[in-house]
Amino acid sequence: MAEGDLTTESTVYVTYIAAPAEKVWAALTSAEFTRRYFFGRDVESDWSVGSPWLLRKPDGTLDVRGVVLESVPPRKLVVTWNVVQEQFKDLPECVVTYDIEPAGDGVVRVTMTESHPTPIPAYLLEGGRRGWPMILSGLKSLLETGRPLPLAVPQPPSKE
Amino acid sequence: MAESTFVYVTYIRTTPEKLWQALTDPAFIRKYWCGIQAESDWTPGSPWQLVIPDGRVADSGKVLEAEPGRRLVIRWRNEFRPELREEGFSRCTFVLEPVGTSVKLTVTHEMERPESKFVQAVSNGWPHILSSLKSLLETGESLEETRHWPKGK
Repeated sequence: MAEGDLTTESTVYVTYIAAPAEKVWAALTSAEFTRRYFFGRDVESDWSVGSPWLLRKPDGTLDVRGVVLESVPPRKLVVTWNVVQEQFKDLPECVVTYDIEPAGDGVVRVTMTESHPTPIPAYLLEGGRRGWPMILSGLKSLLETGRPLPLAVPQPPSKE
Repeated sequence: MAESTFVYVTYIRTTPEKLWQALTDPAFIRKYWCGIQAESDWTPGSPWQLVIPDGRVADSGKVLEAEPGRRLVIRWRNEFRPELREEGFSRCTFVLEPVGTSVKLTVTHEMERPESKFVQAVSNGWPHILSSLKSLLETGESLEETRHWPKGK
C-alpha cells in the first residue's frame, strides 16, 4: 500500500490465558495490573458506560484517552481510543474491544479488536500490530506466572 | 505478501534453543498440539507430516528451510479435510528472534489464492496452539483443551 492510502481494516489479536475471566477483567481495568504489562502505563476509569477512561505514562503524562462504550464485566469491554502522542496526530479515534470467553477448563480466550470507524493512514496500523502482541503476551505471562515480560515500547510506525 | 496470509506474533520467556526444540521435538509438540505426532528430520528437503492420534495424516509437505534457533519454513498441505486439501500447498514460516529475556516468535502462514479456506482455518487454530506452547514453556503446563485431539474431529 502507498503511504497515503487510507484503510478501515481492523487488527485482531487472540490469546488464550489460563486464568478466570474475572482475573483477566481486573488485569485490563486496574492500574496495579496494567503498569506491570502495558509498558508501565496506568489505566483510570470507573468503567461505567459513558465514563471517560485514561492511560497514563509512567511519568504521569496522558498517553490515551477515550470513553467507555460497553462494559459487561467480566465478558466484554469496548472503549474509544484517542492517542495523545505527537507521532500519532494523524490517527483518528479508533475503537478497542476486549472479548473474554470461556475456552475449556480454567482457560479463557481473550480477543482484542482494534477497529477504525474512521479510515486511517494504512502505515499507522503497524503501531497496533507491533504493540498488541507485546502487551497481550505480557498480560498472559503475568497472569499465568506472576511475572510480566520486560518488553520495551516499540518504535512508532513511520511513513517510510 | 501472498493473497491469503495469517500472521501471529507472541513473546515467550525462553531461549531460542528451547523454543526451537519446542517446535521440532515430537514429544514436546504432542503436549501443546492436541496430541499430534510430528514426523520429520527437520532438514531442508526432508518430508514433514503431522499425524492425528487415530492415525490419519492431518497435514503433509516438506521442510524448505531450517536454521536451528532462528528460522523454519515448511511447505504445508492439509490432508484430512477435502475442501482444504484441494487448495493445495501453503507455506508456513517460523521466525525466532531474541528480545531481552524473551523470544519473539512470528508465525506467517500463506496461500497463493484469495480468501483461502485453509488460511481461515489456521487463523483459528494458531492462536490456541501458540498460546498453549507459551504456557508450556513458561509454566510447565499446556492449556487444557490442547492436550488431546478434540473428540469427533
